[in-house]
Amino acid sequence: MFMTVVGALNVGFLQTLKLFLVTLIGALPLGLVVSFGSMSRFAPLRWLTRTFVWIIRGTPLMLQLLILFYIPGYVLESGSPWPGGESGRFMASAVAFIINYACYFSEIYRGGIQGVPVGQLEAGLVLGMTRGQIFFRVTLLQMIKRIVPPMSNEIITLVKDTSLARIISLQEVIWAGYSFLKGSHGYAGLLWPIFFTGVYYLLFNGFLTLLFGWVEKKLSYFR
Amino acid sequence: MSVLEVRNIEKHFGNIQVLNDISFSLEKGQAIAIIGSSGSGKTTLLRCLNLLERPDGGQIAVDGQVIFDAADLTTQRESEIRRKRLHFGLVFQNFNLFPQYTALRNVMLARELLAQEQEGFKANKRAILQEIRAGAEDLLTQVGLQDRMDNYPHQLSGGQQQRVAIARALALRPDILCFDEPTSALDPELTGEVLRVIRSLAERNTTMIIVTHEMAFARDVADRIIFMDEGYIVEEGPALEVINHPQKERTKQFLTNFSNQ
Repeated sequence: MFMTVVGALNVGFLQTLKLFLVTLIGALPLGLVVSFGSMSRFAPLRWLTRTFVWIIRGTPLMLQLLILFYIPGYVLESGSPWPGGESGRFMASAVAFIINYACYFSEIYRGGIQGVPVGQLEAGLVLGMTRGQIFFRVTLLQMIKRIVPPMSNEIITLVKDTSLARIISLQEVIWAGYSFLKGSHGYAGLLWPIFFTGVYYLLFNGFLTLLFGWVEKKLSYFR
Repeated sequence: MSVLEVRNIEKHFGNIQVLNDISFSLEKGQAIAIIGSSGSGKTTLLRCLNLLERPDGGQIAVDGQVIFDAADLTTQRESEIRRKRLHFGLVFQNFNLFPQYTALRNVMLARELLAQEQEGFKANKRAILQEIRAGAEDLLTQVGLQDRMDNYPHQLSGGQQQRVAIARALALRPDILCFDEPTSALDPELTGEVLRVIRSLAERNTTMIIVTHEMAFARDVADRIIFMDEGYIVEEGPALEVINHPQKERTKQFLTNFSNQ
């Protein structure tokens, strides 16, 4: 029995991990684009971006998942754009998570960018550097150093937030644990599987905590 | 011919006129000190010369060539402004070293990036980088930091950081080196080492503009002094003349306040 449960949870956790990684890969760069938009000198773009960030941060991710997964199917004449089955649910989840987390990341980036003293930019300009060179060679690393603590917070939250995708029946780790409760495997009433899912989260977040601690240490050579 | 001609520079922020009809010239190998109370426009003037601020009126000419004319938009193209800035070096009040690079890398970085843009860089990469490195080491030795090249800025004292910043500015061989109150952010016991470096640059006839509150230093090191007040040049002349025999009432008043401190 134990091995059956672990096997099922492993499959679920793989889906959790996949959603986590895909969200990071999409939201880390997209967040930078959004943060540039929210700092744009072109006012309409700035306000449009900030309004978008306000809506995304101001509503529950669970609601965004439901809307993104179900509404297009009602509105579009061609029917739901999502493929059927688990792959469709995964795609919808990934899109919702990427948009949601890009908005949170963008605010962290903005804080990081604006936290770098303007003197760094001016020193670069006076030395004949282009704005691109200044960003990549001077301010980027200082910004990264500033955002590691808030980003680690947000990324650890992301690990746990992946469980929200269960609302559109994505078969992630909690879904896998919960399936035992419903008795389909004959272990009705056993709470242990759902308890075990917590161990998965705990171990994975423990690993991330160590990773971010290591990154912080790596960046501690300058102030 | 003057290396720098500043003609009728005007600058305002909103309704506040910060610079009024600023004109002066600077000969090659000369040092000019700009003195005046806070808010008199000294720093803004330096920032205009380095094109960190865009003057609202007037012209700036280097070696007889107009590099900026407020009335002529063709002199203000962003792409060219970058190159034009290289006529000037600027040493900031609060150093603005790049914290993630060692002293040596701080001095090398801008020259490396400029070298990468030159034709034939790839072919001679090793030799060019070697030369840049040797040049940076020379400069750091010149400012007395031969033992501190591999230190990061936060490991250096304020005076040492400012000396790195001077070496960094010198690395690009600017025609005119500007100092914006280079010792104002330093503890009194650290100002001496920075002033000594600037003095040695003056002795080697480096063309400089020094905004400073150190009157004795300005008198000893600068060839000429400009006294500014409320955005105007009130008085300009040979350093000793201006400090010892100021002509204008406002200058006398300013200098008296200083000597009373």
